[in-house]
Amino acid sequence: MVRIRQYESRILQEYHADKSPAWDIGAGLIPGEMHLSAGQEPAAVGVCAHLGLGDAITAPHRPHHFALAHGVDMNAMTAEIYGRTTGLCKGKGGHMHLFDPEHHFSCSGIIAQGYPVACGQALAMKKRGTDRVAVAVAGEGAANQGAFHEALNLAALWELPVIFIIEDNDWAISVPRADSTANTSNADRAAGYGMPGVRVEDNDVEAVFEAAGAAVDRARAGEGPSLIEIHTLRLWGHFEGDAQAYRTDLDTVDERDPIPRYAAVLVENGDLTEAQIDDIRATADAEVDAAIQHAIASPTPEPDDALDHVFA
Amino acid sequence: MGRTTVGVVANPASARDVRRLVALGGTMTTHDKLNRLQRLLVGLAGGGVERVLAMPDRSGITVGLRRLAARPSAASWPELEFIEQPVGGTAADTRRATEAMVAAGVGAIVVLGGDGTNRIVAGASGDVPLVSISTGTNNAFPLPVESTVAGLAAGLVARDDGCRRAGTHRAKQLVVRHGSRVERALVDVAISDGDRVGSGAVWDGGTIRELYLCFAEPDAIGLSAIGGHLHPIGRREPGGLAVAMGEPVVATIHPPIGPGLVQPIGVRSIDVLVPDTPVEVRAASGVVAIDGERLFRFGSDDRPTITLRPDGPVVVSAASVLTHASTTGLLATPAARATTATAPASHDPTDPPPEGNHHDDARSARSVHRDGPHPAVRVPDPAGVPR
Repeated sequence: MVRIRQYESRILQEYHADKSPAWDIGAGLIPGEMHLSAGQEPAAVGVCAHLGLGDAITAPHRPHHFALAHGVDMNAMTAEIYGRTTGLCKGKGGHMHLFDPEHHFSCSGIIAQGYPVACGQALAMKKRGTDRVAVAVAGEGAANQGAFHEALNLAALWELPVIFIIEDNDWAISVPRADSTANTSNADRAAGYGMPGVRVEDNDVEAVFEAAGAAVDRARAGEGPSLIEIHTLRLWGHFEGDAQAYRTDLDTVDERDPIPRYAAVLVENGDLTEAQIDDIRATADAEVDAAIQHAIASPTPEPDDALDHVFA
Repeated sequence: MGRTTVGVVANPASARDVRRLVALGGTMTTHDKLNRLQRLLVGLAGGGVERVLAMPDRSGITVGLRRLAARPSAASWPELEFIEQPVGGTAADTRRATEAMVAAGVGAIVVLGGDGTNRIVAGASGDVPLVSISTGTNNAFPLPVESTVAGLAAGLVARDDGCRRAGTHRAKQLVVRHGSRVERALVDVAISDGDRVGSGAVWDGGTIRELYLCFAEPDAIGLSAIGGHLHPIGRREPGGLAVAMGEPVVATIHPPIGPGLVQPIGVRSIDVLVPDTPVEVRAASGVVAIDGERLFRFGSDDRPTITLRPDGPVVVSAASVLTHASTTGLLATPAARATTATAPASHDPTDPPPEGNHHDDARSARSVHRDGPHPAVRVPDPAGVPR
């Protein structure tokens, strides 16, 4: 979780460092919109701890935490975010389009796009007789899209090895769940499709770890899909530059930050010392710094290459 | 005199935990909960309640209830008011809401949740009677009761008229002390192996080393079934039970410790817990689970102590309340009292009867009519019923 947080913190800093004017998202070394995942680390870490190289993840527009937790190379990912030829997509995708075939990792800026894709991956895994699983990740707002319901229906009907992860960070951009959703519980919706659905409260990484472990075990054993809704926290804006004037919970955000909260538990229980936590943070900082340097040092694509490696 | 007010705590998160994955826990949807709340509100109105103070949430209960309350069909409901308080989506919401209800002078608090929700409410409810409707996964503390009936009972208790004396009693509780930390259990305290609190729920009976029980019913689901299969102890009996697991195993039982979860449990010893007598946990280290929820870790130098106490929350037996209300004329118009019939204060449908059906209301109803039927009701002579 610390590694992810240090990464996002540094990207935050670098993203804003050369935006001039500040509202021009195309300006600076990191072009385009930026959706950072600070606060949502427990979801990625608790789930990905159960996944291996052959397991697939489809992530949404806020993908960095799941990418890093699933083992996507930090250098290649950072170069992609910077639009460099050494990036995962040779600099043509940007931060919302990270595709890593080696780790079966993909993400998309199209809301709920990853749900049916995960079903397709899971169908292939099942037909090949493997024990691999596909994990579809999206936010609670995405669960109001038709693709979500179509995917749940197919996954349940075909008993696919899919784990649907809903990151409920309370805000679908600026819309609270209760204002847009007749049934506010996605665990309820899972039950409607005949698959187990659970909700993990309080952004608790240990609780996510246990629930995800049980869901992955079920899928690998051929017991079919599961849904886990994780009540998590969007520590920062929907995108970088979001003033969050709509947000009514900002005064409690700091106290709900999962990293200092979990660090305090680990120290209190004698699992880690403050010095060890500092070391973890320093190690992460060094890795992140190297990735940024690698990206900045990498070339940008040539205009003549614009039509290479694209199919549409 | 103020308006008759009842508090309502509905846990939006109940029946959503990991036991749907590691056991066969069912789902109590938000709409199921709203349906029960609707029934409850109708029952509360029927019981004479004028105002309801409810806990707010952000998970669909508050929004749903407000919408339902605005419909014409809700015209007869009590006035519905949500407590002004921050909503964090944690047990702290329940605690705060209960405190506010007690401060507001509610005559009863209705709890929709599981053992865990009742435990939090009981920590702040003081002398206010609790009416518990189970919306949890595997609950031992709330007894089965239909929500409309629960509303009637809560209303009658809030208005009193003798219902409180006749239909409530103090439950037992287990008080767990660990350093400065004090927790209470309404059903069980389990000491298990492991080093993390995790998702809270306990589903691997093989990890449980010790179990302390307020009561042990043979037909229970959950950890208390372990005691129930060994040595039944009723809710109204003074003692409790302590069970130790592991070697040397003197008996093996197969209790249902969760929904669809029957596991062999090797028992080393059982002891009766004496009220007000602290016992120290034997295990050198482990995790303490209270009412089926892992809460904290301990080590060899800070082992918790556990004390059975008779001063738990005041709980309502809907059957006893309605029996009293019926036999004293509270349910009839015009209100009229039987000349000799009185509700038996000792009737307790929550104690397991010999035949194993602890909700045999017909039995108690028969007994209270021994002195004659309600004078407002003409009871036909059975011999005169045409066939």
